[in-house]
Amino acid sequence: MPGKQLSSPCMDCRDADSVFMIRSRRLCRNCYIRFVDYKVFRRMEKYRLRKDIPKTGPCRLLLPLSCGLGSAALLHMIHTQIEDFRSKPYGPAGFDLHVLLIDLSCISSRRLPRDDIVEVLQRRFPLASFTQLPLHSIFEFVPDLQEVLPKYAGQGYADDYLLSSKERLDAFRASISSATSAADVDSILLNRLVVAFAKRIDCLGVLWGDSDDRLAARTLASVSKGRGSSLTWQVSDGMSPFGLEFNFPLRDLFTVELQNYANSFPELADIIVPDTPLSDNVLTKNLSIDQLMLRYVSSQGTKYPGVMSNVTRTANKLEAPRMLTDRRRCALCDSFIHDLGGPTMDDKKSSSLPEFCYACDRSRPGLS
Amino acid sequence: MAPTECFNCQKSRAVIIRPKNRHKLCRECFLAVFEAEVHETIISNSLFTRGERIAIGASGGKDSTVLASVLKTLNERHDYGLDLCLLSIDEGIKGYRDDSLETVKRNSRQYGMPLVIVGYGELYGWTMDQVVEQIGKKGNCTYCGVFRRQALDRGAERLGIKHVVTGHNADDVAETVMMNLLRGDLPRLSRGTNIVTGSSSSDIKRSKPLKYAYEKEIVLYAHHKQLDYFSTECIYSPEAFRGSARTLIKDLEKIRPSSILDIVRSGEEMAALVPIPDGGQAAPEEDSAVGGCGSQNGRTRGGEMAEMEKTLTENEAAASLETEIKISPLQTSAIPLPKRKNKPKKPQQKPTSKKQVLGKCERCGYITSQKWCHACTLLEGLNKSRPKTTIEMEISPEEEESSATLRRQMEQVQLTG
Repeated sequence: MPGKQLSSPCMDCRDADSVFMIRSRRLCRNCYIRFVDYKVFRRMEKYRLRKDIPKTGPCRLLLPLSCGLGSAALLHMIHTQIEDFRSKPYGPAGFDLHVLLIDLSCISSRRLPRDDIVEVLQRRFPLASFTQLPLHSIFEFVPDLQEVLPKYAGQGYADDYLLSSKERLDAFRASISSATSAADVDSILLNRLVVAFAKRIDCLGVLWGDSDDRLAARTLASVSKGRGSSLTWQVSDGMSPFGLEFNFPLRDLFTVELQNYANSFPELADIIVPDTPLSDNVLTKNLSIDQLMLRYVSSQGTKYPGVMSNVTRTANKLEAPRMLTDRRRCALCDSFIHDLGGPTMDDKKSSSLPEFCYACDRSRPGLS
Repeated sequence: MAPTECFNCQKSRAVIIRPKNRHKLCRECFLAVFEAEVHETIISNSLFTRGERIAIGASGGKDSTVLASVLKTLNERHDYGLDLCLLSIDEGIKGYRDDSLETVKRNSRQYGMPLVIVGYGELYGWTMDQVVEQIGKKGNCTYCGVFRRQALDRGAERLGIKHVVTGHNADDVAETVMMNLLRGDLPRLSRGTNIVTGSSSSDIKRSKPLKYAYEKEIVLYAHHKQLDYFSTECIYSPEAFRGSARTLIKDLEKIRPSSILDIVRSGEEMAALVPIPDGGQAAPEEDSAVGGCGSQNGRTRGGEMAEMEKTLTENEAAASLETEIKISPLQTSAIPLPKRKNKPKKPQQKPTSKKQVLGKCERCGYITSQKWCHACTLLEGLNKSRPKTTIEMEISPEEEESSATLRRQMEQVQLTG
C-alpha cells in the first residue's frame, strides 16, 4: 500500500504533515503537544508517584496564576495530567491542584482578562480549585510587613493605618523611585504572598510558570542585583528557605514553544493576557535590571537558545545547603542572610533597623 | 551655576562624580577615598604579612600602574613593611609590548621599585609574534594566556617571591562572573571571584587588591594622580568583538552603578554554593581564572557564543538519543531485582568525575594534573610544525598535506584548549 503523500511528514509519527519546528525537528500538532506535555510530565512525576512524600493523605500543590502565557499553559498541562491519572482505576494517588489567581493590576499594566475569570476557570478546569487575591492582601497574610515596610522605605514613606491596604501598598511603592528597586520589591512581595497563602492552605509545594528564557533572565537579573545565593530558590527546583518546595516545571520549554502550545488550545485564548512588548525606544538607563535582562535574553536567545537554557541549568546546580548562614532571615524577602564575612560594602550600618539582606538593602529607597 | 562643594570635605570644589555612588568629590578627597578603600580591602582580607616580598604583575596599563602607585602609597602610609617589586612579562609583540615595557621601566624608576622582565622568547622559545605567524590571528589569545600564567609564576620563582598581585578590577571580576554563568562554568566562576587564588595548586599565591575598585575610578585615579601609563590595546585583539558579558555589564552600570559590586557579591555568594565533586578540593587552577589581558578581558573571539551553542545543541541531541538508557533506572527502581543491571553503567560515569591529581609536568616540572602542563602541550603543537633546520628542501605534496592536517589539529587544540 503506497504511503500517504505528505510534503513534509512529521518526524515522529510520519502520519501527518508537520506544522511546527521544535529543536530542529519537524512535528505535527499532536506530536508537538505530546513532546511539550512530556517535558512537564517528567517534572511532575515526583508528585504523581509521591516519591519521598507520604503515599496517602493530602498532597496539595499551589499554582500561582498571573494569566500570562506561562502560568496559563502550565495550568492547562497539569490539569490534563490530573485528568489522566484520575481516570485510571488503580492509578497513583497523585496530587491536588489549587490555583491562586493574583490580580497584578496595581503593580503593572497587566489586567485580568475578565471579571468573572474565576468562574470561567473553574468551569474549564474542574479538577482544580481556585482563589483570587489582590497583591495588597499581603498585609493580611503577612502582618509583620506592616512594621517592616516603613522601616525599609525610610523617610520617603509614612505609613497611615487609616488608609486601605491598597492605598498603603500604593504609597509604599510610590516611595521607591528607581525602576529596578520597584520591580525587585514587587517580586519579593508577590513571592511572600504566594508563600504565605500556600502555607495557610497546607500546600506541599509551589509550581511556578516560568519558561526557560524567563528563568535565564531572572538568573542574570538576580546575579546583577546581588542575589547570588537566592538563585537556589528563585530559579532552582527543590526546598526553598520558606519550607515549601519550589518547582519550575516549564524549565525545559521556551516562550515560543509555549506560545505554539497555547495557540493549539482555543480554551486558553481568552484566558491569556499577552505580555506588552518592551518598546525598543526606552533608554537603557530607564529600564529596570529585570527588563534589561529580559531584553537581553530575548535578543540573544533567538540566536543562542542553548546558551540561555544553559544559564538556567547552571544556576540549578548550586547547592543551597552549602550556604554560609546562621539562619538569620532578611526582614523583607524572608530568605536566609548569606554571611560572607569579609568587607561589607555598605557605608553605614544602623542597628535600630530590622535586618535586611545585601540585595534588599541595595534596593532601599535613597540608596540606589 | 555655583561650583558644587565636595561631598566629603565640603570645602574644596568638587571635580569628580564618583562612578560608584555618584558622590561629588574634590580631587584630594577622591584620591583619599580610593586609597582608603583599597586599604580596607587589604586589611579585611589580610592579604599581606609584614616583611612579605610582593611582585606586582605590571603591564604598563592603567590597572597595574594604579596598583603599583597605590601599594607604594599605602605601604608607606600604613607601614605594611612590604618589599615591592615589579614583574613584567614580555610576550614579544612588536609595536605593543616593547612600548608598554618602556612605561614599566619608567614606573620602576618613578616608584623606586626593582623590575624584572620575563620573556616568552627565553622561556618558551616562541614570541607571540612568532606564534601568530604560525597559527594566525584567530585564537592566539589562548596561547598568550596559558603562557602568561606560567611566566608570572616563573618570574616570581626567579625572584624568590611567593606572592604576585595583579591589577584585576571589579569590572573584570563582574565580567568573569557573567561570562562563566553564560558558559555554565561554575568552578571557574568560583575561582574568578576569590580575592586570593592559586594557593592550593601552586606555591605562588596570587591576589587582586583592586577587586572592589571600579575600572572607571581606576582611570580617574590615574588621571588625577597624573600617572604614567600606556593605553594602547594589544594589536592582536582589536577586532575581537566586545564580549556579550562586557556590554551587558556596561548597560547594567548605566541602570544602577552599584551593580558591578552587586555582581561581584553575587559571585562570592555563588562561589560558596558551587558543588565540590567527591568532597575534595575545588578544581585546581590551571588557566587564569580571570581572562588574560586587561584590555581584552571578557572579549572573545567572535563566534564563541555560536560555538558554545553548537556544542550544547549537539549535547542535547546526544542526550535525546540516550533517553532509553536514562529511563531504565526509573523503571527498575520499582522492582528490586534488576538493580544489578545498573551496575555496568557506573564505570562509564566514573571517569568524568575522576578526581584531579596534581603532579609535575614531565617536561618542565610545572604543576599540572596531566602528563604535560598546558603550556608544554601547546608548545609541542607549535614545535611540531616548526622546521628543525633553517634550510629546507622542497616540500613534497604529501608533506604539505600532513602539515595541513596538523594545522587542522592545531585549530582543534585551540577550540578545546
